[in-house]
Amino acid sequence: MHRAKPSGFRISKRVLPYLLSLPALLVCIGILIPFLTSVVYSFQRYRLSQPWARQFNWGDNYISFFTDPKFWNTLEISLLYAGITVGLELLLGLGIAMLLQKRSSLNNFISIMLLMPLMTAPALAALMWKLMTNPGFGVLSYLASLIGLQDFRWASSPSTALLTVVLVDIWVYTPFIMILLLAGLRSLPTQPFEAAALDGVPRSFVFFRITLPMLTPYILTATLFRLLDSIQQFDIIYAMTQGGPGDTLTVFQVEAYLNFFQSTNVGRSAALMIILWAITYFLSNIFIKNWLRLRERARGQA
Amino acid sequence: MASVELKNIVKRYKSQTVLDDLSLTVADGETLVLFGPSGAGKTVLLRLVAGVIDPDEGRILIGGEDMTDVDAEFRGVGMAFQNFALFPHMSAFENIATPLEAKRSSHGAIKGGVDSVAKLLKIGHVLSHKPRALSNGQKQRTALARALVGSPPVLLLDDPLRNVDAKLRFEMRLELPRLLADRGATVIYVTQDYKEAMALGDRIAVMSQGVIRQLGTPEQIYREPANIEIARLFGDPTINLLDVKPQRDARGIYVGLSNVQVHLAGAPEAAIGRDCVIGLRPETLHFVAESEPGAIPVTVEAETPLNEKIVTLVRTVRGREILVSRPSGTPGQSGGKAHLAVNAKSALLFDHASGERIGSKNIVSLRNGEAA
Amino acid sequence: MEHTSLLERVLRGIALTLVVVFFMFPIVWIFMMSFQTNEMILRIPPQLVFEPTLANYTALITGKLQTAAGTLDIAFMRNLWNSIFLSVTSVAVALLLGVPAAYAFARHKFRGSEDIAFTLLSFRFAPALLVLLPLTLYFQKLGLANTYFGLIWVYQLICLPLILWIVRGYFEDIPADIEYAYRIAGHSWFATFRKIALPLAGPGIAAAGLLAFIFAWNNFVFALVLASADKQPVTVGALAFITSSGIQYGQISAAIVLSITPTLALALYAQRYLVEGLSLGAVKG
Repeated sequence: MHRAKPSGFRISKRVLPYLLSLPALLVCIGILIPFLTSVVYSFQRYRLSQPWARQFNWGDNYISFFTDPKFWNTLEISLLYAGITVGLELLLGLGIAMLLQKRSSLNNFISIMLLMPLMTAPALAALMWKLMTNPGFGVLSYLASLIGLQDFRWASSPSTALLTVVLVDIWVYTPFIMILLLAGLRSLPTQPFEAAALDGVPRSFVFFRITLPMLTPYILTATLFRLLDSIQQFDIIYAMTQGGPGDTLTVFQVEAYLNFFQSTNVGRSAALMIILWAITYFLSNIFIKNWLRLRERARGQA
Repeated sequence: MASVELKNIVKRYKSQTVLDDLSLTVADGETLVLFGPSGAGKTVLLRLVAGVIDPDEGRILIGGEDMTDVDAEFRGVGMAFQNFALFPHMSAFENIATPLEAKRSSHGAIKGGVDSVAKLLKIGHVLSHKPRALSNGQKQRTALARALVGSPPVLLLDDPLRNVDAKLRFEMRLELPRLLADRGATVIYVTQDYKEAMALGDRIAVMSQGVIRQLGTPEQIYREPANIEIARLFGDPTINLLDVKPQRDARGIYVGLSNVQVHLAGAPEAAIGRDCVIGLRPETLHFVAESEPGAIPVTVEAETPLNEKIVTLVRTVRGREILVSRPSGTPGQSGGKAHLAVNAKSALLFDHASGERIGSKNIVSLRNGEAA
Repeated sequence: MEHTSLLERVLRGIALTLVVVFFMFPIVWIFMMSFQTNEMILRIPPQLVFEPTLANYTALITGKLQTAAGTLDIAFMRNLWNSIFLSVTSVAVALLLGVPAAYAFARHKFRGSEDIAFTLLSFRFAPALLVLLPLTLYFQKLGLANTYFGLIWVYQLICLPLILWIVRGYFEDIPADIEYAYRIAGHSWFATFRKIALPLAGPGIAAAGLLAFIFAWNNFVFALVLASADKQPVTVGALAFITSSGIQYGQISAAIVLSITPTLALALYAQRYLVEGLSLGAVKG
């Protein structure tokens, strides 16, 4: 028989998949090591400026948070920021997606154009808005003065700083929600809508009883996705105000960054990150379940 | 030289056992048909032989050599898939050429090999097309050509006619036996179509739920089905099945059909007094005159001509329906009262509870791969 | 849906116009600013009509800025180069590591494969600084601080999960029988991977690569923490540029335009795959 004998260099069937995924596994380990290090740091009294005083203080970093107004400010502003941005982006994104639902070349063109903010680096987007809100020559400052808001100071004033960064966040990320919901809307079966139209069902009823329920998995995925990112927002806030003015915008990651590099308080910074991680871990578990369901469905359609 | 032997194969997916301690020997040059409903484990068995999936237990021998741990590319088998599995980014020529490329054949040899098998399968004119530009029939022939081109000693054909239209299936059913015989290869052929199984198989293995229920020549499967299920699967129109309780009198064993005692010469003793099901093939029933001994009175309900045969639906006195089949052009009854005669020799008796045919000998030893 | 009244169409038109203006205006405005001199920019009210100048771009490209006070060096081209180098290399490495792993996860379900895949996915959502801050200390000890090597390694955090999960979906979409057929025809698993799986998943791999490039390019925090001036990409560089050059708004605008153009261009090119990429394969566009 002409059958070739297995010979030379051959990789066993059992080893092969492990070999192929080894690099990914190594990256996994490479991420797990600093992660675990962070856990250790969070239980230590550790200041870069006083390396000799480094020692385990166990839960002290966490316990002190309870009485630390700065921490409560961080928690409050982070949740506020995430809540406001995601809420507004969801409403806007859903609205725009419904405006663009019908497949026409104009709608497709607009939806592609709207992707451009999303593809702009958030840090650079913040700079763009910083230029536009510059009190000296910024076009938005000028427009504000036209509608009677003289001396509107945007990100430089504690009272409007949050509004300004939220605006930038909305500018960058609304298209994300819009494009996911648009894909969802366009993938919905048409029969229920045709039937409702034939029966003369009011449109508000169609929206609340048909569209929204059918769109729920998409809305949930998009919302959780955004919530996970938004509660960790760093780029926009840091590039715009570096957490200021004062501590108006010291959200988790900004506060941790400043703690680490300015106050060199590694222990507190690590503890902050662990708390943020716990929040995101909780959210991402819900997210991943939803996401998997949606992914199965997308694969099924293929 | 290239017999295929499966020894005590077990294959599980999660908690489900797909193949349960299955053994089977296919002789060199033999065409064995695996027949059974979907989910019976036929395709899994083919893939095990091909080497693309591994058994959980048991050994696979090809040409006497243990191939259980040998990768697919070294097993010397050719395979045609039910869904064709053509490479969508390659032309029909490139598709067919893949087995020859693997052998590092010269350009001339590849061209010659592909052209000759393409000519044999009448797809020479579409060799430059991509699969998506081929009709289903052409895809099926391309897939077959790819399996044949390297002249593998073992050919695995996974229901290759499933996805082609009826006309082509009919043609191929005539063509394939000669094509396979010319190759001299050992063939394992999977199908769900009993006619295909009867036309192609030297032997047929009837599978269900991961077990071979019967293994034998087409003749054996048809005449001596191991159980009711198999009797029902083979034959068109379907076999007539009637509940009976065989008795004995001075003339031998008989059953009562419509108050008529029908004697069954050669029926097994074991059937006496048991609840049984009698199987009567439609073509073994004949319309006869009332005076004939053992004639069963019936009412003719409907008559359906089916090309080469005519099928008549009749109703017995007790209201049971029976199908009778006769060759076209022969006289019969198309309405009213009539009488049927049973060919006692071809009547089959099954145990009512288990469905096993009473007196079948071959079922027990099958698990060891021994044909009756 | 068909009985749209005139009023409704007008309202829809107005709403869409507002949406387009809000989302496009900043890009258009920065683009215009980049062709203006500082004097034009500082004029109030802002001018819509002006005489465009390429001075800002020439200053950036030559790296020399003539001011009243003398010549100022601009390192922006260096940042641009860093962005290109870091993004391209990171994506190349991620493809090299991620595509075989994606293939293994898609085809050979093995013990622990799902765990690895989900661990990588969950890090996509973990706070970046959680990993970055200890890494800065490790990198200083290992001598990886402020090296391209270290940065590219960290960029895998963004690129690898993306490529893994998108490409895996594309591999799963290839019927297993097609690959079996090639193996049975006598080819090794590697030949099958190269000649069947890779070409058939090709468009998906390309799309995942483009998206990973966009995300790597747009990243800010990794380089902010781990790179000093000579290794910084445009995202960090532009911020530093604002602080150092003070009031050179025209050049800053030009720098921003140069920095966002590559990702915008790629996004337009790959827009068919964006939905799938942004949702990590959960939604098909």
